[in-house]
Formats: sequence, C-alpha cells, structure tokens
Amino acid sequence: MNREEVKNEFKAHLITYLNLLDITIEQIKDNEPLFEGDLGLDSIDSVELIVLLDREYGIKIKNPTEGRQILIDVDTIVDYIILNRTK
Amino acid sequence: MFIKDFSAISPQLTFSEEFVNGDYKIHVNNTYTVFEPSYAETIPSALLRRMGKAVRMGIGAALPLIKRNEKLDGIVIGTANGGLENCINFLNQIIDYEEGTLTPTHFVQSTPNALAGQIALMSSNTGYNVTHVNGALAFENALLDAMMFLEVRDKKSSLLLGAVEEISNYNYNIDQLAGRYKVAKVSNDKLIQTKSNGSVCGEGATMFVVSNDSANALAEIIDLKQLNFPKESDVKNKLDQFLSDNGLTYAAIDLLVLGTNGDIQFDCWYDTVKSFFPLSTDAIYYKNLIGEYRTSSAFAVYLATQLLKGELQNHPGIEGQLTKIPKTILIYNQFEGVQHSLILLKDVEL
Amino acid sequence: MHKVFVTGMGAISSIGSTIDEQLTALRQGQCGIKKARFFESRYAETLLFGEVPFSDEELLELNGVTNQNEFTRTTILALHAFKEAIGQAGIADLLKSDRTAFISSSTVGGMCYTDELYSDANLKGTPSNYVKAYEGSDHTVRITKMFEIGGIIDTINTACSSSANAIYLGARLIQSGRADRVIVGGSDSIAKYTVNGFNALMILSDRACKPFDENRNGLSLGEGAAYLVLESESACLNKPRIAELTGFGNSNDAFHPSTTSDTAIGPVLAMEYALKMTGLKPELIDYINAHGTGTINNDITETVALNTVFSKVPPYNSTKSYTGHTLAAAGSLEAIFALLSLRYNELYPSLRCETPIREQGSKPISAFSKKELQHVMSNSFGFGGNCTSLIFSKCS
Repeated sequence: MNREEVKNEFKAHLITYLNLLDITIEQIKDNEPLFEGDLGLDSIDSVELIVLLDREYGIKIKNPTEGRQILIDVDTIVDYIILNRTK
Repeated sequence: MFIKDFSAISPQLTFSEEFVNGDYKIHVNNTYTVFEPSYAETIPSALLRRMGKAVRMGIGAALPLIKRNEKLDGIVIGTANGGLENCINFLNQIIDYEEGTLTPTHFVQSTPNALAGQIALMSSNTGYNVTHVNGALAFENALLDAMMFLEVRDKKSSLLLGAVEEISNYNYNIDQLAGRYKVAKVSNDKLIQTKSNGSVCGEGATMFVVSNDSANALAEIIDLKQLNFPKESDVKNKLDQFLSDNGLTYAAIDLLVLGTNGDIQFDCWYDTVKSFFPLSTDAIYYKNLIGEYRTSSAFAVYLATQLLKGELQNHPGIEGQLTKIPKTILIYNQFEGVQHSLILLKDVEL
Repeated sequence: MHKVFVTGMGAISSIGSTIDEQLTALRQGQCGIKKARFFESRYAETLLFGEVPFSDEELLELNGVTNQNEFTRTTILALHAFKEAIGQAGIADLLKSDRTAFISSSTVGGMCYTDELYSDANLKGTPSNYVKAYEGSDHTVRITKMFEIGGIIDTINTACSSSANAIYLGARLIQSGRADRVIVGGSDSIAKYTVNGFNALMILSDRACKPFDENRNGLSLGEGAAYLVLESESACLNKPRIAELTGFGNSNDAFHPSTTSDTAIGPVLAMEYALKMTGLKPELIDYINAHGTGTINNDITETVALNTVFSKVPPYNSTKSYTGHTLAAAGSLEAIFALLSLRYNELYPSLRCETPIREQGSKPISAFSKKELQHVMSNSFGFGGNCTSLIFSKCS
C-alpha cells in the first residue's frame, strides 16, 4: 500500500470512527490541524483516534498527552502509521 | 404550575401540525418508532454525530422551546433508561474486544443525564439541572421536582421539563425476555382492545416549558400523586384523598386519560379506576398513539394540554369517549401494577 | 419552610461495613483502595479498586436475605446501608407511612452484572435471573417493596453527583411539607461497564489515586452505598439530631460532557447557591469534603473553584483517597464523612498528596487534627456538568 492509499484508508476510518456526518474523504485536508480546524474535534475525539490507531494499525498510544504529539494533522498521523504499524 | 409551551417527537406526527390537524399514523409492528424531523438545521453536525437517538430526539424536541422561551432557570428530565442503544453498544464492545481499547463516546452518551447535560451545554444554561430515572415514575418525579423548584421562586421563573425514552433492539430484547411484549403483531388502532399478555414498545421525547406565570399559558398542572405497590383495595382511598385534597369530586373530572395498553394482566387497574367515576365521565386512551414506554405519561400530559386547548375533537386517533372540550383532566398510568401515578390538569381561566 | 435535620446515617464502602468501622479507618488513615478480590475483569490484575471486601453471597447472608436471586450487588449494598440508617434514626416502624419518602440514586444499577446483561440484550441464551433488574431504579423499587415504604419514591441519576442530588431533593420534600422523613442516598457497585468506560476516557489511575497532587494521573474506582435519614423538626423532637442540612446548591457547568470548564462556573455556582441559602459568609465554612477525584481535570478546576468562592480556602480533603470514587454513592458517602468530621470535631488527612498542585497555592489537609467545627460543606460534580454542593451545620 503506498502512502496515498494509507492516507485515504485512514481518512475513511476517521469518518467512520468519529461518525463525521456529511464529510467526505476529499474534504479532509492533509495538513489542517485536526483539533482546531473545521472538523471541530475535541478531547473525546482524541481518545477515539487512539482507539482507531490501536484497532486498525496495532499502534498503542498510552495516554492523551502522548497522543497530542502525534495526532496533529492527517500528514503527521499517516507518517506515524507507516513507521509504527504492526498490522 | 403552568405549561407555557410544549413539543413532542413521537410515533405520531406531533412535531409538525399534522397530528393536530387529524393525521393518525398506523404502526403494524410491535415497535412504534418516532417520526424524527431533520436536525441538520438545528443541531450542529459536530454535536449531532455523537448523539444517540434518545439524546438526539430530546434535543430536537427541546430546541424550539429554548428558542421561543429565553432565560429558563433550569432543566429537569425524566428518563427510565436514557441512551440505551449507546449503553449496550458500549457493553458489546467490552465483551467483543475483551475489555481492550474501547471508544468512550458510547459510554459518555449512555448516561441518562447526558440529555439534560447536553441541553444545558447547547443553551449555556448553568441553572438547576437534574435527571430522574425512577422507572415508570421518572417523568412524574421530574414533574414534582419542577413544582417544588417553582413554588419557592418568583412568578417569572421557568424550567424546561421533559421526558425521553428510546427503542433499541436491546431494550426490546430484554423486555421481550421479561415477557413484556405481545407475541403476535398488533396494529396500534387495535391495541387497546387486544386482550392478551404484554404490550408493544413505544418511544418518544416530550418537552414542556413550565412556569409560575399564567399569562398565555396553555394549561395548568394542579397536582400529582404516585403510588407504589398498592393493593387494589387501596386505590379508591388514595384517589378519594387526592381528589379531596384538590377540592374536587369524581363528577368534577371532565376527562380521564388512561394508560391502557392492551396487556390483559394489568389493564384491570384502569378499568377499576374508571369504575369509580360516573358512567357519563369521558375517558380516552393514549397508548394506541405511542405504544408503551416508561415515561409515556409525559405524552399523556402533551395530549391533555392539546385537549384543554380545544384541539383533537373528533380526531381519528382518539379512542374512547370524548363528548366535549374538557376543563379538568385526570391522567392515570401504571406500570405492571407496581408504579402508579395520577396527574391533574386544568384549563387556564382567562 | 420546614427545617431539615439529619437523624440517621448508614454506609458501606471499602473502608468498612458500618459507620463506626469507617470512622475508625478515617481516624487511622486506612485506605481501602487495593487489589480487587471479587471483581472479575482483566483490569482486576492491573488496577486497584475500592472494593467492598465481601462477595455477593456474603453480602446477602450478612443482610439475612435469602432466595432473593434478583438482588444485584448494587441492591444488596443499598439494602445494607439503608438498614443501618433507619436503625440509627429509629424509624423502622414509620416506613409504611405515606409521610416517609425514599430518594435513591445509582449510575450502574443492575448493569453491574455486565455479562448477564450482554447475554440478555443480545438474546444469547435463556433469560438470566436479572432480566427485570437492570434499570437504574431497580434497587429503589426492590427496597420500597421489601419495606413497604408508603410515601414518595424517586431515583436520580446525575452521574457522580447523583446522591448529593438525592439529598437535595429529599430536603425539599421536607421543606415543602410533602414528607416528614426521607431516606436519601445512593448505591453503586464496581462493574465492567464503568471500569471500561472510565478506562476508555483514560482517566483511571494505574495506582491508588492521588487527589490534589501535582503528579496525579486519574481516579480509582470504588463501590459502596450510603444513606442519610432526613427529618423535619417536628418529626425528630425527641431524638438525637446529628446535624442540620442548612444549604444546598445545584448548577450545570454547561461546558463539556465529561470535563469541567477552566473557570469552573458550575462548581462555583453550586457552592455559591448553597452558601446563599445558609446566609453564611464563606469564611464561616470550617471544612470542605471536596469532590477530589484525582483526575488532572477535576482537581485543578475544583481548586480554581475553591479559590473563586473563598478568599481563604478552608481545610479540605478528598475522602476518595480512602474509598475510591463510589460514583452515585459518593455524594451521600462523603456527606456522611463530612458529618463525622462535624460531629467529632476532627479533620482527616487527604491521603497520598505528596506534592500539592503548584498553580493554585492551596493544599489539602495533610494530618489528622482536632478542630471545633460549626459548618461543613460537601461537593459533588459529575459528567454532564452536574454540580451539587451541600452544607451541614451543628444543631444549635
């Protein structure tokens, strides 16, 4: 799977896990901050994202503080997934 | 305490004018699900995406009232089970993922007080906020709470008072296992006359603005009473007492609104209560409209308010006897003979 | 308006199955947060809990209940504390009166049997014994039936402030003349449901919680039940009164489903409303039993709230450092602990606060001491923004 495919797959998971109604993969920008941008994500979403990374990619993040350094924007997360995925 | 405004999302088209204008929806399965409006205009999608049905329809019913009635002094909600779908979704995750990493949204949304909290959040209401979960008396307890809140406050004080219950596969399964639903399918226009075990499963969100102020009020809630585990022989005494406490005779009640639900095991309670009143007293049912659920009496108050306003005369969905526009209404509801309630309403004298 | 007095207390938690046992534990600084013996979960291995040290069977036997196979752990705990409370108040003969009310609360209710609920809700097998026992009100209804309680019955769920609101509602039944006596409180048992819920929110500590410590990292879950008997003045003319409930306030933080706002508007208003009802100046509050969960969010915002309401913050502690967070029971359990402080003029240390939170410059009680107390406050804040504050005063 190339980077583009990983990215689109991640965006699809993002929509499913966060139940982002009316938002398409195309509408999620790669370098827009997830937590202060148009998506309107908050602290509970950051925990949902940690679950996403665990279930879909086998990546364990211990707590939201550690999560905040990784869960910046789609680009950052995709890079992290490619480096650290265990499945 | 006066009802100043109200709204209902129910298995009838009550959120629009259609129900009042004579529409009667027929439900053929034993789950009577609500007709939900589109929330896209009223609930921000960032919030809507997380809401379970109970929270969503509760907010949906509450928002127009909040918009029309500024400065509410608090929010009092009754719900036996709250967001049960989220609750069991979370539970299923616990088992299916063997207590592994779980998503918290279902957990947060499943707590029964999530609705009152969410309404407070969306309307920046830092006032009084309580959720009552006492089974089939959850709405009655919310009503009592609201009454006690208002009676020590000034005339302009007002509260959002409401009730919500949702159908999920899970609560249907659990209550089905407990023998609470009919085995055969019954359409709602036949429900009241079905003399078989169990009832059908309904849901709904009913919201009111209540206040001490009678100006432009729709109805007045005079009093309420609850009975727990009464003997059949106690009911007459309790009813005597309730009416005399309010300076009323049996003949002074214009209309009985009864919670009869087609369950042959328990409908006798309604027949007994009805038998205390003169034969000429009007009596109607409401569960043919919405099915059975723990906080269904909130819908009975909605219906009574419409009737006191002079609406619903000759409505096809009103079963029973309704010969005139009532001025005094008594609602009687009970759940499996365990939790019983009486709610007394009057029209507002101009 | 009728005055409201406390005439009875009953409680069970990880630090004791009677009020006396819990008083001893508080005096000796004994913590109940340990490795769980009865709770079955993968987290029983990795986390610590304030578990009541009896199995369900032992609790049933302890309460002389037999063949009640629909009694969940939540219900048995409630029954246990209920009996102690009515015993102390001497109201067993008055329960059937329609002037006796019972206001309880629970968050997990019968869902404490998570596996049975899973099976029933998903139609996985034959119905369990608990198929009619899952609702939050189940314990209330069963105790009402058992004792044939004759007056107003209610169950409240405002998450972690539930039983504080049960006390609040019960007090208003008496004030308004709708009841002469009310048993008020709550019960919750440790359950896979709540443990996994709090774990998913990542607010469970991996050690015994450290409320108000700079290095706190979450709460420890506990369980228990606690009930108070409240009576009107005329109903308790000839019996000992433990204290008067002089103030209560309720507010919503209106900020977030599971965290408190930075300005702590909800906690501030709840305390201010309670103070306003008593007519007391804030400096007359001698002690505060804080909500103090040990989460990053609660303890800092509660400290902000205390500094907002009080120019000089009174001595405070978190007795959750002894019992863990008992959820719906916490409000009434901690009200009872505050009443013990008031009654015996004693302040109990908040456990494990080694480095107090730097930013706000106040710290919880660090050692046992004797102090003459007149007015004490107990705070409870919950998910959904539900904040409640209670004030008890010595009877004059």
